[in-house]
Amino acid sequence: MKTIKIRTIVEGTVEGIALVSPIPISFFGGVDAETGIITDSENPLFGESLTDKIFVFPESKGSTVGSYVIYGLSVNNVAPLALIANKAETIVIAGAILANIPFVDKTDQDVTISIKTGDKLVIDTTQNIIKIKKE
Amino acid sequence: MFLTKEQQKMLDGEFGHAIAKLTQLIVKIGEVNGATRLIPIKNAQIAGVSYLTVGEPIFTFFNMLSEDNVKVSVPSWLNPAGMDMKKWKEMGIKNDFAEKQRKIIQQYQKMGIQPTLTCTPYLIGHKPKFGDHLAWSESSAVSVANAYYGARTNREGGPSSLASAITGFTADYGLHKKENRVPKIVVDVKATITHFSDFSALGYWYGEKFHGIIPYFKNIKNTNIDQVKMLGAAMAASGSVAHFHIAKHTPEAEKVDLSYISETVTFDENDKKQIYDHFNQIKERVNLVVIGCPHTSLEDVKLIDSSLGDKSIKEGIKFWVFSSQELMQNDKAKKLLTNLEEKGVKIFTDTCMVVSPVVRENYKNIVTNSAKAAFYLTREGTNNVNLLSLSEIIERVSE
Repeated sequence: MKTIKIRTIVEGTVEGIALVSPIPISFFGGVDAETGIITDSENPLFGESLTDKIFVFPESKGSTVGSYVIYGLSVNNVAPLALIANKAETIVIAGAILANIPFVDKTDQDVTISIKTGDKLVIDTTQNIIKIKKE
Repeated sequence: MFLTKEQQKMLDGEFGHAIAKLTQLIVKIGEVNGATRLIPIKNAQIAGVSYLTVGEPIFTFFNMLSEDNVKVSVPSWLNPAGMDMKKWKEMGIKNDFAEKQRKIIQQYQKMGIQPTLTCTPYLIGHKPKFGDHLAWSESSAVSVANAYYGARTNREGGPSSLASAITGFTADYGLHKKENRVPKIVVDVKATITHFSDFSALGYWYGEKFHGIIPYFKNIKNTNIDQVKMLGAAMAASGSVAHFHIAKHTPEAEKVDLSYISETVTFDENDKKQIYDHFNQIKERVNLVVIGCPHTSLEDVKLIDSSLGDKSIKEGIKFWVFSSQELMQNDKAKKLLTNLEEKGVKIFTDTCMVVSPVVRENYKNIVTNSAKAAFYLTREGTNNVNLLSLSEIIERVSE
């Protein structure tokens, strides 16, 4: 089992399956707030659902309205379990706080490489670590 | 983060769930960016108004805010909407879009936000003062507030500017701190910069090359607010540049610490030409001219009128100018507008070519004098946009 050090932005200790986007994600225009499905055709995860997954991405891009999309995911009960980014930016910070979704960043490695889609993760914000159990 | 007793109460939910969330949002953004305190803001300028850019998700957020009946605590203004609030049908806006758009603005008004619907609040009397801390979100207004007025604002997002408008605070980081306002690159402007489109080309060129880095421009002979807004808008669009200095012109330029300068670059005629050429590759018959990115001042509109003189816009070409209702509704302006309408020039307020769906959807071959507008209108690859000076545009489309 591998562990990664993190910085906690929104607290929460959760266990779940990783879904990894290798490229930056635009929540506005790239994720459907009603279904939780990734609608950005340039993303290899096109058509996949974020719902109840631990969503891992390098960073966010696009309109700041993306915060409202993240909030909408939680109102519509299709939110991811948690968010992990290499670099937290205002769009996702604001969205994760409004939606109350655990969110961590600033790891000591590139999470989009060290975590693979399908890995079982435990995010522990009391100890500021992620545990990776490889499938 | 150090919080005052009042701020701590806000965060702890003593003023309701919505205030607690919005305070938490500002505190966290601050912590991530190294802020150690919150500072009061004078006013806020809020983006996220056009239904085209906010879509349905905004309504779930409005629901949360309206449950606690939150109100803004400082003067707050709105960015442009997706349509002229009166003449939307004339623009080609559909009924259902108009209905959604009106709802969005009503929700903002319920919070006490003024529906100015402009990206240039400084042109309608809301001029920031030197050293004022603000929470503005429209990128061109942010750069004008910092550079031309010497006020201090980061480039806020729609949600964070709204959170600041309601709580009255922003986190003390980035451009709120003097040490982060110093230039890193000197730009020696050798090219002739006369037309608005030249200022726009210079801004676009710089932003593309030096993403997010504060420049110090040398050898720009004259600057008025309308020229500076074109420069700042283009730089913010192509390179997220939120602050700049112009030697002998902008208020911080004389005293600013130049010891962090790492490079001097020149902007010559060839660089200028490259930017124009970048946008002028396709020479098809023009469908639409769009002026007013950022929104025009009354002087801008007068210039269009005087440049046209006795000429009118050719049949089959539309000439649209975007401005704010505030500037266009006084009696002097009304006479000017009637004159211009007779020559085939249409003035729309409350909206612009970038945030309204109709320009992109209904017109293929577009001409503008704004590199920012050209940048956004060509991004999806379906529109051809030419960047020309106002006099060249008028030469081309009038008779």
